[in-house]
Amino acid sequence: MTIADLETLSAGEPSAEPSTGGPNKTIHGKSPTRIALERLRQDKVAVISAVIVAFFVLIAIFAPLIAKLWGVKPDGASASEFVLNGLPRIGPPNFGFIWSHPFGVDPQTGNDLFARWLYGARLSLGISLTATVLTTVIGIAIGLVAGFSRGSLDRVISFFIDFFLAFPFLLGALALVPIINHKFSDKPGTLLWAQIGALIFVLTILGWMPLARLIRGQVLSLREREFVQSAQVIGVPTRQILFKELLPNMIAPIIISISLSLPGFVAAEALLSFLGIGITGAPSWGQTINNASNYYDIYPLYLWPPVIGVAVLVLTLNLLGDSIRDAFDPKTRR
Amino acid sequence: MRLKKPIISSAGVFALVALAACGGGSGSTSTTQDTFVPNAGQAGKAIENRDAPAPEIPGATKGGTISVLSANGLTTMDPSEAYYTNTLNILEDLVTRSLTQYVYDPEQKQMILIPDLATNTGTPNKDYTQWTYTIRDGVKYEDGTPVTAEDVAYGIKRSFDRDTFPGGAAYSNDYFLDGDKYKGPYKSGDNYRGVVVKGMTLTLKMARPFPDMPYYGAFPSMGPIPQKGSDPADYAQHPLATGPYKFDKYEPGTSLTLVKNDQWDPMTDPGRHQYADGYDFKFTELSKQIDSTILADSGDGQTTLTYDNLLSADYQKAKSEAADRLILGSAPCTYMWTPDYREVTDKRVRLAVGYAYPYQDAWTAGGEIIGVTRSPGTAILTPGVPGRPDYNPLETEPGQSDPEKAKQLLADAGYKPGEYELKFLFATDDPVSVAIKDQLVSGLEKAGFKATPVASTVNEIPTLRGDPNYRKINVRSWGWCSDWPSGGSWFQPLFGSNGSNDYAEFSEPSVDAEIKRIGTLPLEEQAAAYGKLDETIMTKYYPGANTGYTGVAMLHGSKIGGFVNDSVLGAPTFKDIYVKQ
Repeated sequence: MTIADLETLSAGEPSAEPSTGGPNKTIHGKSPTRIALERLRQDKVAVISAVIVAFFVLIAIFAPLIAKLWGVKPDGASASEFVLNGLPRIGPPNFGFIWSHPFGVDPQTGNDLFARWLYGARLSLGISLTATVLTTVIGIAIGLVAGFSRGSLDRVISFFIDFFLAFPFLLGALALVPIINHKFSDKPGTLLWAQIGALIFVLTILGWMPLARLIRGQVLSLREREFVQSAQVIGVPTRQILFKELLPNMIAPIIISISLSLPGFVAAEALLSFLGIGITGAPSWGQTINNASNYYDIYPLYLWPPVIGVAVLVLTLNLLGDSIRDAFDPKTRR
Repeated sequence: MRLKKPIISSAGVFALVALAACGGGSGSTSTTQDTFVPNAGQAGKAIENRDAPAPEIPGATKGGTISVLSANGLTTMDPSEAYYTNTLNILEDLVTRSLTQYVYDPEQKQMILIPDLATNTGTPNKDYTQWTYTIRDGVKYEDGTPVTAEDVAYGIKRSFDRDTFPGGAAYSNDYFLDGDKYKGPYKSGDNYRGVVVKGMTLTLKMARPFPDMPYYGAFPSMGPIPQKGSDPADYAQHPLATGPYKFDKYEPGTSLTLVKNDQWDPMTDPGRHQYADGYDFKFTELSKQIDSTILADSGDGQTTLTYDNLLSADYQKAKSEAADRLILGSAPCTYMWTPDYREVTDKRVRLAVGYAYPYQDAWTAGGEIIGVTRSPGTAILTPGVPGRPDYNPLETEPGQSDPEKAKQLLADAGYKPGEYELKFLFATDDPVSVAIKDQLVSGLEKAGFKATPVASTVNEIPTLRGDPNYRKINVRSWGWCSDWPSGGSWFQPLFGSNGSNDYAEFSEPSVDAEIKRIGTLPLEEQAAAYGKLDETIMTKYYPGANTGYTGVAMLHGSKIGGFVNDSVLGAPTFKDIYVKQ
């Protein structure tokens, strides 16, 4: 772990800046992660973003509970009780705001839109997080292998990275998702999971390459460093070199990659659902936006909550990602 | 709703996806009211012989180009195969002529059948097994060639070809002499003994009595097609015009431009007008966009119309802002939700289905404008069909559910709540179908049934539902649109044993015998007899729930005149439409 100490020293310089506040009495080693977290804590944008993201995460986790406390359900409403000729019988746009249905009701099925918004946040974050975890794991594994193995294996893997990078995401998604969905279209029990699986699969299969390339580049430069070469000389197993020597030195780019790809996936999930190739069997923001686009002029309340949800979540995740990157890499400070 | 696939005008059977119903409505200023009167029997004369030219529409002016927007593309435009509302509408009204035609009669306020190419609506022999038509002189194709009786005979022969034209109407095969054997000029040659040409006179011979021939004569397939240059491969791309307009540019799925046909002579045509300079059809437009363009009513929007139904979301706005430009009327379709008659043998259970079906919820979730594009149904025959009886097979108001009554009936039949299982199809790839399915499940469960939706896709459903041996489901949802306003085309295919579209798997010997007996009755007595049969089927056997009649809600710009609903198709009366100057 020698290199970690080296990094600490170099990264420690900015931490000695007046901005860190109190004088350091004793000089002791700090991990780069800890230093980054300290910097983050002082970044107002980061703190605000983190609070908003945490708010959405709480909504996602407790969606059923919140809906129950409010007394609303995302489905099972009797259509004609709430809807007449394509417009709600209660609440906006024809009648005033009502607390029992703060986001209005769906003008087709009569389902409560607040409950659907809550569940939509759950679905959106769930899919994005899963896809992020999967792309990170795949990206790291492939990047490590490609970077560390010299010769033909690296060339083959690099070819595949380039191949998938060249593949247009939207085209791939439009072609793949319906094929997967069609396979399960006559099994309603598994269809929702198949749709979720297909979406995660598409997001993952078309999203792991940037991290893999990043990791490969890092490994290429790190593996020529003395600590790696000496480890190899004294016969440390390759696995141990990869996970104990190389990986800890790439925590920063990995965290940055995660924090920046998460909002990308949230937006991509909404986009695919908007295009009708995402989730149909469960409440989803993209699907609601798609349905609501026919009502933008007469029933704006239908459209705004999911649009604002996606916009705020993507924006705060991006800002948080930027701040994390800045915290880990002081050279890019704004 | 993305669901807007073209609607088969006749023998059309749809999935859960639907458009349209009936309702009162107003025409534009120069046209009269096209009010839908529930249970209106036969008013006036449906068939009339008229002479050319067609009477002028009061206030009509010449000139201008009419834009027509639609969310759907056109299927084939070959006159021998056209069988969708939009293709029939464009061909019959504007491009091709046939033996007979429908026009709107402002005095009777309904569509009537009048002669077209023929000098009268047809002269039958005593038992309606032979029809004679005389073709008018002086009718020409768009290239100036005169139309002969031979050409009409060739067109009729083409209509037998189910291999080349699988999507066309099959009445030639069902009723004409040797209809089951003769396979059209391409397969069986030009020699067909069912059509005899003598000078300008055509004699059509039937295999069995076909009193509805004058109605069938209005199909574009009963019109002239030149023997040369009518290769089915590309004739659909440019069918030769005999009507007031001809194809200028046609890009399937995108646009169709019609220009005036200078060879059309109003002195030979008792029904059509040629007011506008041309038509500009644009297809696969967004429904929301169509509604906004016409509702905004500025610039080109003033001379724009659509034959699509208004989105239900835009209905309130259209009614308050453009009531005089909103055409409401009836379309000739009935929807039903029928348990499998072989499996659900207890009438009490079938009645329970009728009381349990959540009519209002299913229509709302389906995006229908209740009372306009879908209205509550009672009899099988749609309003406006002669002889249609006025009765209600259920004790509830039409279109209202009564879960308690359904529960009671199920208990009488010996089933505990949640015991009797109803299995039906829905399309997972159609959000509207999924939304309707959710409403059906909760409605049926409320009424004591166990509801089991069976997942499928939009493409699979027609095949699965049409297969009587597909027993994963025991309820089928379907619709039927009449090809012409007569009861003749309804009962044999729908409720006869082994009927071609017997989705209820309904089979009762007494009903079969009655259908057969009505076929032999004099024409005047048939309408009433079909009405009686309608009532017998629904009250004595109750094969399933009537889930409503369809109607139209079409918009047009403020400079469009002469727009009335053609209730035979549920489409605009293009024959009378003009641009106000």
